[in-house]
Amino acid sequence: MSRPFSQFQRAAPRPGSRIGAALLALPLVFLVAALLLWPVGRLAIESLRPGSGIVHGRGEPQQTLTLTLSGYREILTDRGYRKALVHSVGLSLGVAAAATILCLGPAWVFVRRDFPGKRFVRAVFTLPMSFSGIIIGFLTIIMLGRIGVVPRLLHALTGREWLSGFAYQFGGLALAYLYFEIPRATLTLEAALKRFDFTLDAAARTLGAGRWRRLFLVVLPLLRPALLSTFAVTFSVSLGSFGVALIVSKRFSLLSLEIFQLYTGLFEPQLAAAMSMVLIAVALAVNGAARALSAVPAGRSRA
Amino acid sequence: MPEARSGGARILSALTVLLAILILAPVVVLVAGSFLNTRWLGVTTEQWVAGSDSIVSLRWFGYVLKLYAPMLVFSVEIALLSVLVCIGVGVPGGYVLVRRFPGSALLEELVLLPLSVPGITISIALIQAYAVFRGQWWMVLCGHLAYTIPFMVRSVTTALRASSVETLDAAARTLGAGFFRRFWLVVVPTVRHAILIGSLLVFAISWGEFNVSYLLNTPLHQTYPAGLYAAFTFNSFQVSSAAATIFLAVVLPVLLAIQWIGGPEAVGIGQGA
Repeated sequence: MSRPFSQFQRAAPRPGSRIGAALLALPLVFLVAALLLWPVGRLAIESLRPGSGIVHGRGEPQQTLTLTLSGYREILTDRGYRKALVHSVGLSLGVAAAATILCLGPAWVFVRRDFPGKRFVRAVFTLPMSFSGIIIGFLTIIMLGRIGVVPRLLHALTGREWLSGFAYQFGGLALAYLYFEIPRATLTLEAALKRFDFTLDAAARTLGAGRWRRLFLVVLPLLRPALLSTFAVTFSVSLGSFGVALIVSKRFSLLSLEIFQLYTGLFEPQLAAAMSMVLIAVALAVNGAARALSAVPAGRSRA
Repeated sequence: MPEARSGGARILSALTVLLAILILAPVVVLVAGSFLNTRWLGVTTEQWVAGSDSIVSLRWFGYVLKLYAPMLVFSVEIALLSVLVCIGVGVPGGYVLVRRFPGSALLEELVLLPLSVPGITISIALIQAYAVFRGQWWMVLCGHLAYTIPFMVRSVTTALRASSVETLDAAARTLGAGFFRRFWLVVVPTVRHAILIGSLLVFAISWGEFNVSYLLNTPLHQTYPAGLYAAFTFNSFQVSSAAATIFLAVVLPVLLAIQWIGGPEAVGIGQGA
C-alpha cells in the first residue's frame, strides 16, 4: 500500500521506537505466556504422567518422574472413552459440515438480497452466539424434552406425542449444536461472500452456464478457503463445547464431558490432561488441514 | 445489487426466514415461560399451584434476583474488568503486531490460538497450572482473559490493517512526533470504533462464559452462568426461565449494539459454548 514509507521506515529505524514497541507488546506477550503457553505446556507434561489410579484401584499415587503414555492408551483402549472420542469427533464433523452447507443460503441472502426486515432477521441469526452452552441445552429441553413444547403441540395436532424426549437423543444433541453454530457459520460465510467478485458469476452466466454449473464450477471453488475455514472454526467450537451436553446428554458421552467429569467428580487429572491434549491435537489437525487445503492453488484467484 | 428474481433465490430467502423463526422460537418460549402461567397449556408446576391463578406473574424474577444477586454482580464485575484489561493489553499489542517484526507472525498465531483450540482444554490447562490459586476471584478473571483477548486483538488488527495508519504514522514521525505520542494521537483514534466493538464482544463473551467459571469458582465466587446451571439442575422450569431471561436481558442489548454499529470487526463472536 505505502511502499515508500515502509522503506523509509526501514532505512531509518529509531531505537526509541523499537523499545517503545517492545514496551507496548510486553503485557500481551506476558499474558499469552502465562495464560496459554505455560498452562498448555504443563498440561502436556501432566498428560504423560502416570495416573493417580484412584478410580481403577491401582494403589498409591506414584511420585516418580517417569513419563508414560498410559493415559493416551487408556483413552484408546477403554470402551467408554473411545466411544466418547468417536462421538465427539463424529458429532463435530457432522455439525460443522451441516452448518457450513446450511448457512451458505442465508449468507448469500444477506449479501445479495434485500427484503423488509432483513436487518432484524440478520440480528436473529447472531442471537445464539452469546448464549452459553447450558442455555442452549435448556432451550433444547424446553422445546424437545419429555414434556417439551414441540411434543405438546404435536400432541394437540395429531394426538400423539411425537419427538418427546428427542432432546436426550443424539439427534437432539446435534440439533442443539447446530443451533449455536448457525451464527458463526453464517457470519463467516457472509464476510467471504461480501468480498466475492460476483462479476465472475455473471460472466459465466453470459457464457451460458446454468445455475448448478455456475454454483459448482465458479462459486464454490472460489469460496473454498471460506468454506474450509468456516468448517474448521465450527468444528473446533463443537469439539470443545460441553455446556449443552452437560444439560442434555444422558446417554451419549462426549470427550469434553468426560474431561469435565474426570476433573470435577472422579479426580483423575492425568487422564483429563491426556484427553485435553487429544482434543487439542484433533482441533489443530483439522484447522491445519483446512488451512493447507485452502492454500493449495487451484489455478484461480483467491475469494 | 439484487439479482433478477428467480425460484432459487426465493427458496433461499424462505429458508433464511424459516431458520430465523426456528432460532427465535425457543427464546420466545423461554421468555414467555418466565412470567406466564403454563397451566393453561396443560403443564402444571407446583409453584403456580401454590401461587395464584393469575396468568401473569413476575414473582420468580424477584426470587431469582434475590437468590442470584451476588453472582449477577460478580459476573458483571468480571466482564467489565475483562473489557478494561483487554483494552489495556490488546490495543497496544495489536498495534505492535501490525508493525511487522521478526516473530510477529508467530506471536499473532499464538494470541489467536484460543479461537481454534477447544474451550474446555484451556480451562483444564489453566486450572492445573494454577491449582494453588484456585478459589481466588482473579483466577476467574484470568480464565476469561484467556478467551477474550484474541477478540480484542483481532478487532484492533483488522481495523489497523484496513486503515492507512502506516502512512499516517510515518507522516507523524517525519513531523517529529515520538513513539508514544504517535500511538496515542494517531493509532488510538484510528481504532476507536474497533475498540468499541471489541469491548462489546469481550463483555458479551465474558458474561456468558461457563467453562472456566464453573471449573474455577468456589461457593463464594460464582458467576451468573454457574448460577444458571444450578437453577437448571435444581430448580423449577419457571425459576430457570426467569434466570435465563435475566441472562438474556443483559446480553441482548450488547448484541444488538454490535449489530447496529458493527463493521468488519463484528464478524465471528466465537465462544466456547
